[in-house]
Amino acid sequence: MALLKLAVRNLLRNRRRTVITLVALVAGVGAMVAIKGFILGQRRQILENQMRGTLGALQVHKKGYVENVLGSPLTLDFADTPELRAKVAAVKGVKAVSPRIEFGAQVSTPDKKPAPEDGSDLPEADRGATSFLMMTAFDPALEQVVTPQRWEWVQWGRGQMLESGTAEQVLLNDDFAKGVEVPLWKAGTALPPLEQRLAILAPDRDSSLNGVNVVMVGTLASATPNDRRVGVMSLGAAQTLLRMEGRVTEYGLDLVEGAPLEATRDAVAAALGPDFEVHTWEQRIPFVKDIVETQDFVFGIVSSIFLFVVLLGVVNAMLMSVLERVREIGTMLAVGMRRRQIVSLFIGEGIVLGLIGGSIGALLGFAWVSYMNAHGISIPAPGAKVPSLLRPSVDLLFVGRAILQATAGAALASLWPAWRASRLRPVEALAHT
Amino acid sequence: MKTTLLLSLVSSFAFAAEPTAADIVAKYDSIMGPGTYEAQTEMTATREDGTSRTYGMKFLKRDTDKFRVWFSEPASVKGQEILRLGDNAWVYLPNLKRATRIANRDSFQGGDFNNADVLRVNYATDYDAVIAPSASPDQLTVELKAKSTETSYDKIRLVVRKSDLQPLKGEYFGTSGQMIRSATFSEHKEFDKGFVRPARIVMQNEVVKARKSEMVTKSFKLNVEAPPQRFMQADLGK
Repeated sequence: MALLKLAVRNLLRNRRRTVITLVALVAGVGAMVAIKGFILGQRRQILENQMRGTLGALQVHKKGYVENVLGSPLTLDFADTPELRAKVAAVKGVKAVSPRIEFGAQVSTPDKKPAPEDGSDLPEADRGATSFLMMTAFDPALEQVVTPQRWEWVQWGRGQMLESGTAEQVLLNDDFAKGVEVPLWKAGTALPPLEQRLAILAPDRDSSLNGVNVVMVGTLASATPNDRRVGVMSLGAAQTLLRMEGRVTEYGLDLVEGAPLEATRDAVAAALGPDFEVHTWEQRIPFVKDIVETQDFVFGIVSSIFLFVVLLGVVNAMLMSVLERVREIGTMLAVGMRRRQIVSLFIGEGIVLGLIGGSIGALLGFAWVSYMNAHGISIPAPGAKVPSLLRPSVDLLFVGRAILQATAGAALASLWPAWRASRLRPVEALAHT
Repeated sequence: MKTTLLLSLVSSFAFAAEPTAADIVAKYDSIMGPGTYEAQTEMTATREDGTSRTYGMKFLKRDTDKFRVWFSEPASVKGQEILRLGDNAWVYLPNLKRATRIANRDSFQGGDFNNADVLRVNYATDYDAVIAPSASPDQLTVELKAKSTETSYDKIRLVVRKSDLQPLKGEYFGTSGQMIRSATFSEHKEFDKGFVRPARIVMQNEVVKARKSEMVTKSFKLNVEAPPQRFMQADLGK
């Protein structure tokens, strides 16, 4: 205890040097906490774009659907009855249910000019294009509660959302629509003639080809990675196209504020029985795992470099302090202080530096993260073009760990200077000038 | 005169003994995709859940690359038509009431044949062929390598009967080198005077093993009348 007091007083002797070392520690630890907060906020942003924009909190499928999602899942559908919807909606914590169909389709854009009379084909530049897309069909009135983010993507895109659950309308990704020059139809104006509409072709539930003429009423700005080849369509029009009247492939669910995700999933699964499977939105997004791993790796490297540079500063300051105090150390050894105690004294000085600098830094970083969490930073999520609010956040456990790391690091950094001090020979040290 | 006769004898003998890869491919094209013809066929597609569906259709072909297809069965596809001119294809769906462009690599009515397998058989133009070792002395094997990336397959291994070069087996590979389809040709019979071809082709999906499609030819008439207006976009649905 006496040694610790001595350590503090020693630090106060050369205040300018102590302050400079502390500033380095504060900046290093503060930046570490802030960067961590930013990364976690960004991760949340990606996930929320997925949940609030494509999936909904929970999804209900026919048993085996998710496993076979790359096969031909239209046969793994179920009848969308008012009773079934009511059964799901009655589960505690469920706020809204939206029936959907996910299906692969080919979109064929109209030729830009009528076909020549002589039967020859149009020049390449005037021909329509065909592309494969993943379509999601829903009723906009029901879907808006479950994935409100889609409506925001339309705001950042062009046009408007589907007019109803039965209209022969689609929305496509904005970049994709520009790329293949899909004409945008303004709702309320006269429909274009048949040959100037888009055709959506898809194998129906029995794999027989079918098609529907549609107009593109709007576009969705890119908001999540890999969303260039996706589109949305009215549920009723899709059911006719796929010959699936009254049937859907999934229910998207929104939960009431604060309802526990996993517990509600299990309750919905229990209510529906073994013919169905229920997944949380987090279970359905495998690519987020890759992003998390990359981010953690990069953050690990960056924070190690930060800490290393800051601790080099601590080594330097402690070494200076030892060299300045050679005669004093000689005196202490001469009056009977143990070499072990000399080591402890200098390590104690390091610990005090690390604890104070680390704490101030961590708290400043935490304060910045908390402030930004409340206000939000408006920038696009990775892979997106739509700005959305990024809310940095860190938990107190990470803040505590940062302080501990700084303190332990500073103690380690003073080990070598402390050892050098303890190795001095009293006679030579006393004679040192 | 004598020399010419001798030479032609020698060459026909040589042909009978060892046809070149180009001969085999030319013969395949002439059997599977002869100049102008009309055919009635039935395709049965079996899917991974064990269900199957049979489609009835009529083909009309003119020159090397003009095709029409009319579907008659089942009810859900009745009235559908396909037109193919060279690299471009259109489908006419009764409920669309118009012709729409379709991609070449599309599967043919949800089966395991794709549009190019059924509508465009012109291996001599699309692939480079070399002779490959055969498993049996009565057979000949050629390996075809795609000339461009536009073809449906990257590589095809074709096995034909040595006696008359009728196709027996086909193996179709994707760009990754994986076998994606394999075909068995059987029931070779004479459909038109002197024109023999397999009446049954089974296309096995090698990626999803439970899937296969069977194409049975009911009738096949060569040199039928195929007026040019049948091969215009405007004729679809008429």
